[in-house]
Amino acid sequence: MADWQIDLIKVVFIWAWALLIAVVMTWVERRASAMMQDRLGPNRAGPFGLLQPLADGIKLFTKEDIIPERARKILFILGPILFALPAFSTYAVVPFGDKIVIGGKEIILQVSDVNIGFLYVLALSAIAVYGMVIGGWASNSKYSILGGLRATAQLISYEVPMGLALLTIVLLYGTFSLREIVLQQQGTFLGFLPNWGFFKQPVGFIIFLVAAYAEANRVPFDLPECESELVTGYHTEYGSMRLGLYLFGEYVNLVALSAITVSLFFGGWALPYVDMGKFLGPVSYGIASFLVFFLKQAFFLFLFVWVRWTVPRFRYDQLMGLGWKALIPLGLVNLFVTALLVQLTT
Amino acid sequence: MSKEKGLETICITTGPTEVGDYVTLNIGPIHPAMHGTLRVITQTDGETVISAKPEIGYLHRGVEKLGENLTYSQFLPMTDRLNYCSAICNNVAYEMAVEKLLGIEVPPKAQLIRMIMMELARIADHQVCVGILGVDLGALTPFFYLIIQREEIYEIFEWHHGARLTNSMGAIGGVEADLPDRFHEKWPKMRDTIRRANDETDSLLTHNRIWMDRTIGVNAFCGDDALDWGFTGPMLRACGVRRDLRKDEPYLMYDKVDFEVPVGKHGDVFDRYMVRMLEMEESVKIIDQAYALYKELPDDAPLMKKMPKIIRPPEGQIYHAIESPNGELGFFIKSDGSDKPYRIKIRPPCYMVYQAFEDLVKGEMISDLIACLSSLNVIAGELDR
Amino acid sequence: MPRRPVVKKEYTLGERVYLVEIAKGLRLTWKHFVFNIKASFQKGPHTVPTCWQYPEDRREIAPIFRGAHMLQLNDKGQELCVGCGMCARACPAKCITVKRGKPAEGEEDKYAGKTMCSTFEIDMLRCIFCGNCEKACPKNAIVLGQDYELAEYEPGLCIYDKKRLISNFLKAKAEGRLKPPPAPIPIDAPPVKKKAAVKKTEPGKTKAKGGERAEKGKGTSVKEEDKGPDK
Repeated sequence: MADWQIDLIKVVFIWAWALLIAVVMTWVERRASAMMQDRLGPNRAGPFGLLQPLADGIKLFTKEDIIPERARKILFILGPILFALPAFSTYAVVPFGDKIVIGGKEIILQVSDVNIGFLYVLALSAIAVYGMVIGGWASNSKYSILGGLRATAQLISYEVPMGLALLTIVLLYGTFSLREIVLQQQGTFLGFLPNWGFFKQPVGFIIFLVAAYAEANRVPFDLPECESELVTGYHTEYGSMRLGLYLFGEYVNLVALSAITVSLFFGGWALPYVDMGKFLGPVSYGIASFLVFFLKQAFFLFLFVWVRWTVPRFRYDQLMGLGWKALIPLGLVNLFVTALLVQLTT
Repeated sequence: MSKEKGLETICITTGPTEVGDYVTLNIGPIHPAMHGTLRVITQTDGETVISAKPEIGYLHRGVEKLGENLTYSQFLPMTDRLNYCSAICNNVAYEMAVEKLLGIEVPPKAQLIRMIMMELARIADHQVCVGILGVDLGALTPFFYLIIQREEIYEIFEWHHGARLTNSMGAIGGVEADLPDRFHEKWPKMRDTIRRANDETDSLLTHNRIWMDRTIGVNAFCGDDALDWGFTGPMLRACGVRRDLRKDEPYLMYDKVDFEVPVGKHGDVFDRYMVRMLEMEESVKIIDQAYALYKELPDDAPLMKKMPKIIRPPEGQIYHAIESPNGELGFFIKSDGSDKPYRIKIRPPCYMVYQAFEDLVKGEMISDLIACLSSLNVIAGELDR
Repeated sequence: MPRRPVVKKEYTLGERVYLVEIAKGLRLTWKHFVFNIKASFQKGPHTVPTCWQYPEDRREIAPIFRGAHMLQLNDKGQELCVGCGMCARACPAKCITVKRGKPAEGEEDKYAGKTMCSTFEIDMLRCIFCGNCEKACPKNAIVLGQDYELAEYEPGLCIYDKKRLISNFLKAKAEGRLKPPPAPIPIDAPPVKKKAAVKKTEPGKTKAKGGERAEKGKGTSVKEEDKGPDK
């Protein structure tokens, strides 16, 4: 097989995989929230209600597509697309497994090992906000524009702590490539702790996680779509599949963010203390590393759901205060300390 | 009425003073956070509320006018539709007003049953209010923990008088049914589950910094201002004024039970929330004591006064108020001696509270407006009548 | 401008750092999560605290529930209703229409009383299920049953006629969901104002609870002027 064919297969696979997880996530969200709230959740469509996302999709597709009369048509259509696409694209640099040997050919389980993968992730996550702002503005509704404005402010102020948290990782591992970072996280330090970003950078991890929640617009940071205040915020005027794209894009975003969390802070596909490559064949090793990655990712996906149904929502100014007055100074201090330690130890 | 610390706390004037171009944001009557059909027309400067004009009347059904065309016992179901979260309190308030007009006192057993049912209704009402407050601030889960307990309470209502929401409990002159077996079976367990649900809500919300930030100091209100506006009930007590009709002007057998009146300090959303949470606890205590008193009475103790089929109170007028979950719920009835009241006027507690809405939210943020509205527990059915 | 009391926010360290309390909250939701996961795999209705799987599992409805009306028959299968119209008078929503009639020749044994209702209609679109008709009925003929699924495709179908009301009763009887006869209410001594009240009652109405019922005059068919919206 030619290289481009392999790449194509990888791209198709990873898109399909991300889509599948996102679809299942909508079901998990509803069922898990129900279980936390002493309810049952959707359990009629298919076994355990697993076909519920399909039913929802059919419903959204067949609904009437309404564009408000005074909306900016082109932007109105563009909004959801801009929101959903970057989330998919982020997945391109995520190393979702080590490598697999098929027919004597070694295939890296990553769509492309960009050496500035980091910056790519940051840049794309910032683009998603355009989808919200444009959608909010084009709808020509006050609630929508308020939601869009909130989204902008929130995204801008949480990009910074996120960047600061990520910089510490860059300092630690000395590379921008996600694959390199994962490779460096294998093994242990101090004798017993896995060589994970989480143990080396606990503060950075917390900052990153909080910023990731803000980035994904999840409770407690779901201000742009804050249901009780802004109806549903930036997508108030949307219906049919455009709304579906917004809702769905959120889950794809979650999938991407949890994948990045795993590769940066939790050693990616590698198991701690165990080197799977030693006792597994080349093909089964590839599959095993992929599964390990997925399991770690699944935990963070569940954490997103879990936290959402536990905590209340921030207020707009408190959100800003947390970002600028707590996370950024903390991130800066953390960055300096890390830089100092890195300087001293090397 | 005793003055609490809230009255002495320093009050400062807040809010924006500059005049500028503001956005008019129309919230409601169709909006997820407007309970029922409320409408608030706000002027906002960014996220800050410059002015908020509540508009009422979307649920006006002319209940008071209806009362003039219905007989005394026919009006009872209408009172269900005032504060539908605690219909029993409305029923009892109306029944007691008519009984006062007739100059009769219902038998002690009926009084105790009324008390127990009213306190159950109070718990149900507070559970809904606290739950909805959580929902509006983004915490959906406590709502479900509380609503399960409300379901149990509704089951008792159903087995006592046959309806869950629009209870129409009892009749003028007493209650028509003894406490159901369900109550005897369930109460010892329910007492604990109600408390457990409250504890769970408490552990999810009260000490959570996000919740505290969202509620502490939000819409803080001075006690004397609250008195001027005519606040009653939990709203007034949250401002630090210890006023509870159950204590101050005891009716039924509230003077025979021992309970505390929880008060807040600042009248902010947190205090209102805490007052409601603590009141649920007190209600459980009241039910326990009332149930103990009830058990002392013989099984065949009378439940009703002997009433004529058609009630014709003597000419005159009466005002009777009870402490409903939202505050002082009063019925003014003027009788001309016929079988229909000449005039009925209802004093709903949330009407007085909702008047002050603009003062409450001025200078706060839109999110606080929503939090404020939920914590007021404005029920459109009671507000618009 | 509103005056605002100054509120000092005094947080403990645990509250200040967010994470401790959030972790406690997470623990609580996790407990519920595990409990309900286990419960949802159990067989039987209502395993999870909130949910009833509605069409299959139903709540137990109280026997005294105020649902759809029914016109009761006695043990011999005779109609109890005598068409006195007390229910129509007591109804606050004015949704009951009753006409009194004489049973036709040879059909006297179908009715328990000397008279019967020739028309008995309840407009369920107006009904508020207060139970006043039930309380007013001297013969315990009309009662509110346990049915609560009252949706119809046509507004006209929501006006229950006599046939429908009796079939409601027969259905409930077959399912063993009849309303228990009302228990006697222990009554206290008569009120002070009783005399005045009784004097003024019109002929044809009851004097007092539990007292003898005055015989009705001729042609006291009660017909409500106010009819249902869709007639």
